[in-house]
Amino acid sequence: MLQAIIGGLTLGSVYALIALGFNLTYTTTRTLNFAQGDFVSVGAFVGLGTVGVLTAALGADAVGYVWFYALAAVAAALAMGVLGLPLYLAAIRPFAGKPGMSWVVSTIGFGIVLQSAALSLWGLGARMLAPPFGDEVFRVGEVGFRSQELVVMALAFAILGGFDIAMRRTALGRCMRAVALNRDAAALMGIDVPRVMALAFLASSALAGLSGVLVAPILSASLFMGVIIALKGFSAAIIGGLTNPRGCMAGGLLIGLVESLTALWSAQWREIMVFLLVILVLAMAPNGMFGRKLVEKV
Amino acid sequence: MTTPFLKTLLAATAGLVMTATIQAQAADPVKIAYNGDISGSPSAESGQIGVLGIGAAVEDINKRGGVLGRPLEFLIRDDLGQPPKAIQNMTDLIDREKVSVVFGPTNSGNALAWKHIANQKKMPVLVSSASSTAITEGPASGNYLFRVSMVDREQAAALLAYVKKNPEAKSVGFFVETTGYGQAGLKDLEQIAALHGIKPAATEKFDARDTDMTSQLAKAKAAGVDTLVVWAQAAPLGHLVRSMEKLDYFPKVFTTWAASFSGFPEVAGPKLMEWPVFLTTSSERKSDASKALFERIGPKLANPSMFWAASQAYDTVLLWAAAAEQAGSLKGEEVRGALESLNKPVAGMVKTYEKPFSTAQHEGLTASDYHWSRWKDGKVVDFNDPVLDGLQPADFKK
Repeated sequence: MLQAIIGGLTLGSVYALIALGFNLTYTTTRTLNFAQGDFVSVGAFVGLGTVGVLTAALGADAVGYVWFYALAAVAAALAMGVLGLPLYLAAIRPFAGKPGMSWVVSTIGFGIVLQSAALSLWGLGARMLAPPFGDEVFRVGEVGFRSQELVVMALAFAILGGFDIAMRRTALGRCMRAVALNRDAAALMGIDVPRVMALAFLASSALAGLSGVLVAPILSASLFMGVIIALKGFSAAIIGGLTNPRGCMAGGLLIGLVESLTALWSAQWREIMVFLLVILVLAMAPNGMFGRKLVEKV
Repeated sequence: MTTPFLKTLLAATAGLVMTATIQAQAADPVKIAYNGDISGSPSAESGQIGVLGIGAAVEDINKRGGVLGRPLEFLIRDDLGQPPKAIQNMTDLIDREKVSVVFGPTNSGNALAWKHIANQKKMPVLVSSASSTAITEGPASGNYLFRVSMVDREQAAALLAYVKKNPEAKSVGFFVETTGYGQAGLKDLEQIAALHGIKPAATEKFDARDTDMTSQLAKAKAAGVDTLVVWAQAAPLGHLVRSMEKLDYFPKVFTTWAASFSGFPEVAGPKLMEWPVFLTTSSERKSDASKALFERIGPKLANPSMFWAASQAYDTVLLWAAAAEQAGSLKGEEVRGALESLNKPVAGMVKTYEKPFSTAQHEGLTASDYHWSRWKDGKVVDFNDPVLDGLQPADFKK
């Protein structure tokens, strides 16, 4: 039981990161980045590549590897964040704030381009990224867990907390919230709205890339792993409320827990329970548990 | 000064062109093809290596004069792991390219998708990698699919024969993934277990993308399972042994050749990958021919433990060539007849085939040809123990 809770919270915190990414772009641009999943997988491979290059160049001992891994995480976040900009410019900006669903196809398309390019570069096999603090199993009573699970949870919570504070306390965060609240008013107040939108895409893509490096030592990296993570992240955002960052985070953890606790009973029912939960929440609260009703002008 | 030289050159060129034309008329190449996944799914790895094996066999056959005096021309078609693409390739190869034989595919599902086409169009197909039992089950009117590979039913038969014979296996659990591969495997396992009177104490399923099987394992542990028979692809198999470590619960694990695919050692890591015992067709290279082939294509393999895919593919070409020579024809019907009654032994990479096929039997390799294997120090090696030594042909119920 405790075993399942640890596993659930670990994956749940990653879903929360992805959900936060959906929240960022949705509130600022009213669009969603459906390429997030591909940013997760490609991010993991950028991390793998970085670790590989560093190890080859400098040689690795246990202490050095922790730094390599940290650098890989930064590299993946940066690389994916930077890739978020062309995504915004090519796939979002022409459609942002306009009615219509063109951005759905354009973001999915961008993801396919990204995935195919990565496939030709790295191939389709699963690869394991060595975790920074060793792969041994720690045992507390009956429960066994690996250090990486704690790393993922700790980092994800730190990032989620950091975002929460940044959105409320910093000027940039306030700008983002202003754009989310009322784009026209924000523009009239002198906020550079397109810049904020681009930043939202940068941040959400960087979060995806970072998530990839975080989960790779647990899930093993493959270029197909991102799709399901992003789908769960999206469900988390829907459950928690797309407009509420804290709701998205809670939604992520909830989905992670539902998943692993259902698996205790029957693994085949896991996905069914997750999406039943989504349907149930939507039926009772169409804007998610913590969402706010948005009026879309058509 | 230049004129005589030019003349000689012209004459020589003309001579060359003429000989080439005459040769081409005398020996129009025989087209043969591989239709399988070499890029789309994780099993594409075995397709890529199979193509290397076929390429090597084509080279060798052409060196000794081709088939029926004609050189072989090898076409490669990637089906991307997708049945519609595989069907399209198949009709294109048969109707437009007019190939004489098709090798492949990589994925069982694709073979099942187009086997009716091969049977209707009387196109001999030699399968070197896909393992689903149903592939070689054909219509009474004529079955054109032959196989030199692992067969799921035979693997299940071998694994359960061991389990039945092993006095230490008191409580057995079946662990399968929820894909078609896992489900078909479970069906085979359950049917053969019934023949042995084995009742599994736990049957657990997991998704092929799952990375945490602790909940399923906890149930097996609670049921007192000491032996697991696992039917899953390489990556989930790796995650299964990682989950076993988390629970500190290590029942004996017996599984299919999937454990020899790169994804398994990659995910399981150097220590845990040595735990399962699995089946291959050729874990260690023993014959000189197979060592020589390995020297030729081994350097091109990212994972040398997958060399079996090349050996099996190589053998399919030899068997087909032997049948065509025996029939004195490339016609599908006649080649099929010859395959079903090969009168000379064919010395292949995996073994020497003596009358491998008959009308009713289209499997070139069966349970007793399989090698018991395990990973040791990064290589697939033979697994030996007293229980194996005691296995008799009668133990392989299927």
